[in-house]
Amino acid sequence: MTSEGFKRHGSNSYIAEFAQNEREILINLAEQIIELLAERVDHGHEDPLAAMVGITSHDSPPEDEVLHRLLPNAYQDQADSAEFRRYTESTLRNKKQAHAMAMRMYLKSAEDGIIDLDHDGANAWLGAVNDIRLALGVRLNVQERTQDELELLAPDDPLRGVYIVYGWLGWLQEGLIEALMDES
Amino acid sequence: MVKTDTKIEEEIRAIFSGDTPWVTIVWDDPVNLMTYVTYVLMELFGFSKSKAQELMMKVHTEGKAVVSTGSREEMEHDVARLHEYGLWATLQRGDQAL
Repeated sequence: MTSEGFKRHGSNSYIAEFAQNEREILINLAEQIIELLAERVDHGHEDPLAAMVGITSHDSPPEDEVLHRLLPNAYQDQADSAEFRRYTESTLRNKKQAHAMAMRMYLKSAEDGIIDLDHDGANAWLGAVNDIRLALGVRLNVQERTQDELELLAPDDPLRGVYIVYGWLGWLQEGLIEALMDES
Repeated sequence: MVKTDTKIEEEIRAIFSGDTPWVTIVWDDPVNLMTYVTYVLMELFGFSKSKAQELMMKVHTEGKAVVSTGSREEMEHDVARLHEYGLWATLQRGDQAL
């Protein structure tokens, strides 16, 4: 990893330069989030009015742990949570997909590897990177494992590479936030 | 006079009293960076950096913090925005035990 991360330029510009392999990793991760969210297909769209206003038939959380973390319950109470999910989950999915698609679009159109974000672009990018980190965090089981355990993953452990990318994304995110908070 | 139990009476009283008995809670999460939680709270709620940092530290050290108070609809809106940015948030009535 060679990128120096995001730096602030002027009042509304946050620029980072990525090596080709870094750019490919980021595109790949953004696409995985887009695909994962698309797997949560709405069913029961027999009612076109319900479909139009975004009411989905989902009233229980996704079984997949990663999707569940991306689309969490809004209430501790199950019945309230189910009701809320039915009316809001598809909107939340669309917003998360939009963040990841924006990130993908920035990367795809930057053949020289230079990403230049404005404030809104930076927020979408942050949301997308955070969703990727949440997804990787579930796979790494950061809830249960200590940082020391993760640092000590064997070189041949497939999770070792995941942990390195997870750490790098955290560093990238941190730098962009610092650049954004610089002005406040 | 219809006899209602105390819980329903309380509910009705809350509706008519104009109280704002709902709260949005952000829960601690090992993935979300401390700076990210601070930044999201500043962006979504317009908190100052010091206010956002104070709430973030409460989440970090106590496991949770109330970040907004208002009507149920307002809190549902806040929770949806926090979920959009990946924070772990729920809403509940303010008189329920945290």
